[in-house]
Amino acid sequence: MKYVGKKILTMLLTLLLVSFLVFLCFTVIPGDPAVAKLGTEASPEALAALREEMGLNRPFMVRYMDWLLSFMRGNLGESYSYESSVGELLGDKVPITITMSLMSMLMIVVISIPLGLYTAHHEGGILDKVIYAAGQVIMAVPAFFAGILITLLFGIILKLFTPGGYVSYSKDFGAFLAYMFFPSLAIALPKSAMTVKLLRSGMIEEKKQDYVRTAYSRGNNTKGVLYKHVLKNALLPIITFLGMTFTDIIAGSIVVEQVFGIPGIGRILLTSISRRDYPVVMAVIVCLAAVVIVVSTLVDLLYQRLDPRIRLEVRK
Amino acid sequence: MKRKINYNLLAGGILAGGMLLFILIGCFVLPYDPEAMNDKLRFAGISLAHPFGCDNFGRDIFTRVMVGARTTLAVALGTVAIGAGAGTLIGALTGYFGGWLDEVMMRVIDALFAFPSILMALVVVSLLGPGKYHVILALGIAFVPSFARVVRSQYLKLKEMDFVKNAQILGCGPFRIMFVHILPNTLSVMVPTVMIGFNNAVLAEAGMSYLGIGVQPPDASLGRMLSEAQSFLFRQPMYAVFPGLAIILLVLGFSLLADAVS
Repeated sequence: MKYVGKKILTMLLTLLLVSFLVFLCFTVIPGDPAVAKLGTEASPEALAALREEMGLNRPFMVRYMDWLLSFMRGNLGESYSYESSVGELLGDKVPITITMSLMSMLMIVVISIPLGLYTAHHEGGILDKVIYAAGQVIMAVPAFFAGILITLLFGIILKLFTPGGYVSYSKDFGAFLAYMFFPSLAIALPKSAMTVKLLRSGMIEEKKQDYVRTAYSRGNNTKGVLYKHVLKNALLPIITFLGMTFTDIIAGSIVVEQVFGIPGIGRILLTSISRRDYPVVMAVIVCLAAVVIVVSTLVDLLYQRLDPRIRLEVRK
Repeated sequence: MKRKINYNLLAGGILAGGMLLFILIGCFVLPYDPEAMNDKLRFAGISLAHPFGCDNFGRDIFTRVMVGARTTLAVALGTVAIGAGAGTLIGALTGYFGGWLDEVMMRVIDALFAFPSILMALVVVSLLGPGKYHVILALGIAFVPSFARVVRSQYLKLKEMDFVKNAQILGCGPFRIMFVHILPNTLSVMVPTVMIGFNNAVLAEAGMSYLGIGVQPPDASLGRMLSEAQSFLFRQPMYAVFPGLAIILLVLGFSLLADAVS
């Protein structure tokens, strides 16, 4: 319990620090938000009035606390360029990004675990070598280029989907999922190659351990030893890796959304950056960072639950 | 005994060396003017005169890949220089001295590490505006935490070694020990880390330029070419394939090298 408490405390501290750094960056460095909202032609009186209204004349820490408290209550602020609140703006886009991230995560697991097991079991075989070589190449492909190649192959040559033919999830959920398949695949492919490599080397390392020999000597067959003993231990580092991959998936989704013309979080972030709509940029960044921090803490906790060795070490 | 050939080293060396040579040649000779437009050559196919074909303005794609790869390389090198430089300094200080400095710095580093590097680069670019130098700065800052962590763990381990104690007894100052005695010993870990960092920088730069917030025209960049090429995927698929291939070969070369030396 002490371990869990410490992890959660660290997580909260990190979240606080991230929110502070983001707020600091976006209030100190850019120009005047009042000018951003009214334009450079505005009269000084109007600007002063707006500054007063937006509370820009108050001390920095007061503004930070204000922003943080309303942020935690779910009020993410008002967009400068769209006539609506940031919450409304992001609300219907969050499910898109979440669907895409979860789908890619699922694909990574589905693709990489069987392949990792196979290559570790058939170490040095022809297929192992082919998978290794293919993995090395796939790892070097940026997710957005994978997206372009997938569009070219599956969209234009094989005509399995219409490039740019995004369907909203509120209109037709099935078609939405079908359209999200290929973008998710573009994100998942390079990550799967990494996972296969990691799982393979982990399994091979574990296979050399004494307990494996013991298990064999007790008369277990290869399958039993591999699935019951080796896989369990080899999967532990994979869980940490997948937790870290989640960060990359979210980051990757921002870019891949553009390739497939999906109006998700990535697009709103990019348009807001080009329009200097800082409340929106701030909200997106803080939310994404929060998701990443919470996920990595959960992974740490899960890891500790799964591996008794870590539990013991913590207790010591 | 027959010496075992390290295929990773061989293949990585050929690919990385070949790409670097390709870029280096492009610094001195270019087959065409990368900006020269020619209406007659719009979407010209692959030919001896234009080995990669021509783009929507009739510009030679081979030349533009050469120039774009140069920009990408420059950005990646700048990024790694900033990231590894600042990361080594922070990692060395926190790892060697420990204490409150370590606690505070590592909390900040952890917080920064929570951001995907491209997201952090987006923050910097959204504050400073796009452009080649801003991208280098943005990615450089984004890459500091990963280097700092690696260097710190090395310093934590190495500062307990006998040669460090020996140097301390001889009266060496902390900075001499940190940078003259310990730093060279981190080399075996730093070389692959720098190579992987370089690869991530290439991928991140390409991604940002693809999104249109990285390198701005008239500078050619592989990512930017890809985003332009995507609109013409139906007419000229090769326009997208070659810049992408250049990224893949560069990254593949260095990742094989990193595998070989680690």
